[in-house]
Amino acid sequence: MIEVKNVTKTYGKKHSTFKALDDVSFSIPEGASVAIVGKSGSGKSTLMHAMSGLDRPESGEVIIDGTNILKLKSKAVDRFRSEKIGFIFQAFFVQANETCYDNVALPLEIARVSGTARKAQIVDALNIVELGDKVRQKARNLSGGQKQRLAIARAIVNKPSIIFADEPTGNLDSTTGEKVEDLLFGLNKQNGSTLIIVTHDADLASKCDMQIYVKDGKIDRIEGEQAAPVEEPEEVVVEKGPQDSREDSRHLKGVSRIGGDKESEEEE
Amino acid sequence: MKTTDIIRRAARSLANAKARTILTSLAIGVGAFTITVSLAAGQGAREYANNLINSNVNPQSLFVVADESIVGGGGLQSSIRVYDPDTTTTQGITVKQMTQEDIDMLADRDDLTNVMPIYQPSVQFMTFGDSTTRFVADVSTYNASIISGVAYGNVPPQGEAIAADEVVIPESYVQTLIDNKVIKNGSELVGKKVVMTAVQATASPTPEQIQAAFATGGETAVQSLLQPKTQTFSFKVRAVSAKSAEALTSTMSVQIAPDAARAISEFTTQGTPQYQKYFGATAIVKDGIDPVTVKESLAKDNLYAQTAQDLQGVVFTVVNTLQGIVLGFGVIALIASVFGIINTQYISVLERTREIGLMKALGMRGKSVSRLFQFEAAWIGFLGGIIGAGIAIVVGLLANPWITEMLGLSKGTSLLIFQPIPIAIMIIALIIIAMLAGWFPARKAAKLDPIEALRTE
Repeated sequence: MIEVKNVTKTYGKKHSTFKALDDVSFSIPEGASVAIVGKSGSGKSTLMHAMSGLDRPESGEVIIDGTNILKLKSKAVDRFRSEKIGFIFQAFFVQANETCYDNVALPLEIARVSGTARKAQIVDALNIVELGDKVRQKARNLSGGQKQRLAIARAIVNKPSIIFADEPTGNLDSTTGEKVEDLLFGLNKQNGSTLIIVTHDADLASKCDMQIYVKDGKIDRIEGEQAAPVEEPEEVVVEKGPQDSREDSRHLKGVSRIGGDKESEEEE
Repeated sequence: MKTTDIIRRAARSLANAKARTILTSLAIGVGAFTITVSLAAGQGAREYANNLINSNVNPQSLFVVADESIVGGGGLQSSIRVYDPDTTTTQGITVKQMTQEDIDMLADRDDLTNVMPIYQPSVQFMTFGDSTTRFVADVSTYNASIISGVAYGNVPPQGEAIAADEVVIPESYVQTLIDNKVIKNGSELVGKKVVMTAVQATASPTPEQIQAAFATGGETAVQSLLQPKTQTFSFKVRAVSAKSAEALTSTMSVQIAPDAARAISEFTTQGTPQYQKYFGATAIVKDGIDPVTVKESLAKDNLYAQTAQDLQGVVFTVVNTLQGIVLGFGVIALIASVFGIINTQYISVLERTREIGLMKALGMRGKSVSRLFQFEAAWIGFLGGIIGAGIAIVVGLLANPWITEMLGLSKGTSLLIFQPIPIAIMIIALIIIAMLAGWFPARKAAKLDPIEALRTE
């Protein structure tokens, strides 16, 4: 469960201030796939940074699993990111000089996972993204699609509860892009981790459970399972029940087509 | 992030930029090379000096003088001073001499043995065997505590003097003696008779002495009183000493036994203020007594001693000074290389902005990022130290035989001695210096804003 409450982020000083986020509020149920949609400069990246603890808006709350991460000390925020968050970027940001293994090892090293547990997790993650045969290959020898799949392996190796994907298919052609999308949604359904995709691609956004449209630093509209931001915390607790059952149904379906999944949720 | 993981990542990213790493390391390597060589040369010189002193000087031996300036190390004074009949002036330097009372006092001490004043026997000329050719040469006292190499004949073991009628002739005399047809070869010299003729300083008799002489022997008695007296001393050659690399002093004088030296010097100085005055004395401190304590107690009696250790100290001071100069050049080279590291690491931070941003986004602490770059610098320092020390050792080991030959040292002597511990300490110091140099770039990396770093434009 991610709750964003009245988040405001201002850039610049004194006279030339610019509100990247202006009193933004919404909530995302656990395990959902969410698209944050908006044009370049709309504030969607700032929103992602605020939700992932990379940036600190000056006012508002970002409550993840009951903790307001904006109130945490920087050390705790770093720990939160290393344990609960996975990142996927448009430009992959894989280390070309490093092997696939060492690329995927980075989040585990940061989270101080012991060496023995590490190896199995890395191999697992690489197998999931179908790069199991390229463990010792240098990342520079991979194709674009493979690089992004490597980045996905790196994002999921630590079994994070939330994965942020910033334009994950922006640098890929449509065929490889689709494969990456399938992988992301499949993982979202299988592992029950929340997937938050930042994109301006309406096609990709439509495949998500929920779409948050951002315009000029404000929420333009929210489509999908939850049309209105949660006002009362009590309501959230009430909603837990149906959410759990929905997760179960998702599990049964496995990596089913997104459209069907969406319909079933709308029925609830 | 665990330190071992950081060190491994640091090593990997250096391995990915091999050319840059090696070039930066080489800069440190130059400093490391110089320092290693200076350490090795200093050690070699000290060990060489130590060998010389140990094999030549009894560690219990003392050299005692009455003038502190000789052993005090403060430089000999040449300024004006109150006249003292116990002083002598040689080469413009006035030195207070020891008197017979001083020597007797030393001999009476129960912590000293073999007290022997330094005699200054001088003879007018000497002849060898049946030859009538007269030769002039310096005569000195045989020093039992110094072993010199022997070309012909033999010398007694260290600590024992030669007999009163024996002499040791330096090898350098042999050629002159052959040229003058005294001998045909050096071995012929052993057992040869040597006759030295000493002349007593002209006495200035008092009027009473002249009157007394005139009264007893008339004019001839007075003439003989004013005539310089001569006396001959006979010896036979026991050995011909050879010059050796291990010998501390290669004496160029005829060495005679202490008793003979005293007889000659007392004869020649009879009736002069120099009679029974000595430049200094040598003595052996009894076993089990620390020479330093004897030295301290002697100082209370205004006698000043130099121990074997002091002598070592004098030699070591010279070696250490020279070593310090070379070491200084090494340090300057290091300082230059420190800026090389700072520069390289700064560029590295700029180049790897994305990587740093990603690591920070994934939750890596700024401290860990900073350490990553510091460990990279540490690796550079380590590599530089290994490269520099390695080259120095290889070059040193190859050059050692050549240096030994050039300086005419005895075989097996190494003037460059590489010791593992100082080299290890140097490498550790280099690692620390490199890490300090890496501090500024590392701090820049740690402060990087991940959002800025990951912005894709």
